[in-house]
Amino acid sequence: MKALLAPFAAVFLVTFLAAPTMGAGWYWDAGNGIGFAAFAGLLYLSLTSNRRIDVRAHQLLGYGVLFVAVGHACWYLLGDAVVVEFMKPGAPAYMWHGIVSLLMLGILITVALVPDRNRVHKDYPTFRYWHRVLSVAIIATATYHIVVSNFYLHAWYQELLFVLLALAAVFARQHWTAYGGLPITKTSVYVAVSVLFATVFTIIRNLPA
Amino acid sequence: MKIVFGILVLTIVMIVVFGSPVAKEKPVRDFYFEAPKKILPMTFAHIDHLPVNCIECHHNYVDDTGGGLCMNCHVSNKQVWPLLENQFHDLCRGCHAEKAALGEEGGPPRECIDCHLGDDSP
Repeated sequence: MKALLAPFAAVFLVTFLAAPTMGAGWYWDAGNGIGFAAFAGLLYLSLTSNRRIDVRAHQLLGYGVLFVAVGHACWYLLGDAVVVEFMKPGAPAYMWHGIVSLLMLGILITVALVPDRNRVHKDYPTFRYWHRVLSVAIIATATYHIVVSNFYLHAWYQELLFVLLALAAVFARQHWTAYGGLPITKTSVYVAVSVLFATVFTIIRNLPA
Repeated sequence: MKIVFGILVLTIVMIVVFGSPVAKEKPVRDFYFEAPKKILPMTFAHIDHLPVNCIECHHNYVDDTGGGLCMNCHVSNKQVWPLLENQFHDLCRGCHAEKAALGEEGGPPRECIDCHLGDDSP
């Protein structure tokens, strides 16, 4: 549980370092709270990956993160008719990064287990290599999506910390896994923590002045 | 799980193609202000912005870069037109966010739809 709370706390804390009560209405802030929860889930998936991984737990949690990320997209698409313009040609680069990140996450998860894996990759090392490359690409594009959209990271040091956070989760992973790896939490716990953090995020952002 | 994910992806595609079935207001792209391409409607109420110095937006009052409505240049000038979206997002959203950060009256824009409805929308 502590291992799950760490990326959540870090991600949400960075968003609050500057102008913590500046929001854009409960609807907008709740949607972005869900998005930050999905990003924290991505970092947690990376931190808990190692050679002795519980594959089933990793897969289920991956689906959990994917559904929270899809929830972030659907939240806006359903409630605000203008957001759909951000999914068409001509949309800003940061939105295309978000879309590509989500698509890559979907592909990564749905072809990760046999028999689908065997259809795509000739052997296990090849699969591991491309699974890792794709996961780094997903976190990189999601980081770009969040940092460049600039909705909550207004100060330069917030952007820097956010990038460092992503880099730490991706490239300092060996440091964490060297000690036997972190435990993988249940998907239901991850979803509950996501709802909790997104709710607190929304409330703080919409406190009366 | 894969089937559920497939249904969700299909749902997103349907929303992108046909629009949200639950969103109350839907803006219509058109050649507003005689724009060379169809653009989203935009709203701006001067009366809500009276405390803001005019030249914060009307740069042409001091830099002599043109006259008339903002859109006279920002959609007709071939050099400026491609920057329309970025410039107006930066100007409007940036100013609102700055004021909110300073604790001044005038919160940041809410949902996209709050700005992208025509002036004659309710």
